[in-house]
Amino acid sequence: MNAIEVTNISKTYTSFFRKHKVNALINLDLAVPAGSIFGLLGPNGAGKTTLIKILLSICFQTSGTAKILNENTGNYKLKYRIGYLPENHKFPSYLSGGEALKYFGKLSGLDGLRLDKKIDELLELVKMSQWKNLKVKAYSKGMMQRLGIAQALINDPELIFLDEPTDGVDPIGRKEIRDILLNLKTKNKTVFLNSHLLSEVEMVSDRVAILNKGKLIREGTVKELTEKKHEYLFEFENKIDDEIFFNLATQFNLAQIRDECYTALVIDSAELNKLIDTLRAKNLFIKEIIQKKSSLEEMFISIINEAEKKNNL
Amino acid sequence: MNNILIISWYTLREAFARKVFIFFAAISVVFLIGLAVVFSLINTDSILSSMNPSGDKIVLEQAIIQIQLMITAPLSNLCLLLAIFSSASFIPIMLEKGNIDLLLSKPISRTQLLLGKYLGGTLVVFINISFLILGAWIIISLKFSYWNLNFPIVILVITFTFSILYSVVVLFGILFRSSVPGMMIAYFIFLILSPAIHFIKLQLQTLTGKEVLKSIVDGVYYFIPKTSELMGTINSNLGQGKPIGDVQPVLSSFLFLILTLFFCDYLLQKKDF
Repeated sequence: MNAIEVTNISKTYTSFFRKHKVNALINLDLAVPAGSIFGLLGPNGAGKTTLIKILLSICFQTSGTAKILNENTGNYKLKYRIGYLPENHKFPSYLSGGEALKYFGKLSGLDGLRLDKKIDELLELVKMSQWKNLKVKAYSKGMMQRLGIAQALINDPELIFLDEPTDGVDPIGRKEIRDILLNLKTKNKTVFLNSHLLSEVEMVSDRVAILNKGKLIREGTVKELTEKKHEYLFEFENKIDDEIFFNLATQFNLAQIRDECYTALVIDSAELNKLIDTLRAKNLFIKEIIQKKSSLEEMFISIINEAEKKNNL
Repeated sequence: MNNILIISWYTLREAFARKVFIFFAAISVVFLIGLAVVFSLINTDSILSSMNPSGDKIVLEQAIIQIQLMITAPLSNLCLLLAIFSSASFIPIMLEKGNIDLLLSKPISRTQLLLGKYLGGTLVVFINISFLILGAWIIISLKFSYWNLNFPIVILVITFTFSILYSVVVLFGILFRSSVPGMMIAYFIFLILSPAIHFIKLQLQTLTGKEVLKSIVDGVYYFIPKTSELMGTINSNLGQGKPIGDVQPVLSSFLFLILTLFFCDYLLQKKDF
């Protein structure tokens, strides 16, 4: 089952006199499986926040349809089942952290002791209990983010949208937020994560989509997207003799990267096996073979550059 | 309904935090102290005897009511100007990026959000005006030893007039996400347009011919809120315990208020944030 289904969504922003048009999303199709952590990536202005806002009916699509938790977006009562942390959110500055959670808890249909208990639990979860009675205007950026996450979870939502949740948070705080996200996943919640910090997304996301200029340019699991299919790293017990290395290098695209470590580019698994057979026939002791992967960041930059080149042609 | 009450309640808290209440209360207290000092210094008996040489009780009561209205009429107008100024930013602040995203992510409709904020703003002004008008009423009544129980109804008239002008402020707040255009239009209606159209309409009634001009003036007159009549004749009549008189200004102004709020809601429903 999918928690989010987006079909052919387009969004065009027009200026007041309709002179200027900006296509924020162009015929976007996307499905997010329920119970997963889904990372949405893209450079600034790619349309990531616009997509979240359309899903939450904060802004409206020009065309196309979107479903959340099997219901059409637009019905505000659907939001009893959704949590959202906006980018650069603002809490009423005259409220303390606890009072701000109470305000949004009440708007989410909670009240009384149940709400008070939930507030304490969430402040504990985001490590903000000691700042419960401090006015929000005195909070740092990181504290605001933590309170924002607590606010997004106040109604125990099935689906949580987080727009740059680790923005302004220190490394320890980021780790804690990652743990919260992974914990939500174990409770079968769906998390839709929008972040510029690709390493963060890589660490927690099950699936990732990349948007560029309103178009979906890649989607898949992190493993699928980061795999370099035909490049392998070999580690040997000893350094390969120069003469043998010279022969293998020309035959199999072998290159030394440090003492006992080499990389090989092969066409397919048959060629990989042939290489292994050759190495073993020469009595070279293989300690480890690893398929090389790029980081999500490397992959992201290469995909965006590729897309830019195509656009320029 | 619950959501509307929550938003209204937090609008009151916002007003407290933004010192709207303190600002109003400070002005009111200064005025009330001034009024009490003036009354302690002057001999009200000589004023009343000059207004009512015969000493007739009914005429005396009327004279006291006139003094009450003379004091509170300019005060009511000042109250209204201050009320518009102090409440104009509620909607633009709510519509700021980061605020509105959080609110719209909760299970609350845009209509509830609008009504909650609108009623909250009106309630803030109602409380402030009540404090000032009731304070002035108590001081005057104590001084003259006459309690005109009809007088506090003036609070409702001022609040109603404010609510009409506030709907205009809200409309422009939604359109421009700024408090300034709405305030300017509201002040224009209250200080210039409404009194001017009312005056022109009265002048034209005495003239013969000029039917086209009369129709245009009538059209504008019936469309715009009649704030000058509400704060003038109607306020005065009700304060004196007289019948309201012509209800047309009240009804047509109320219709204007409803239409403006409907338009506000329509715009808010369509708006991208």
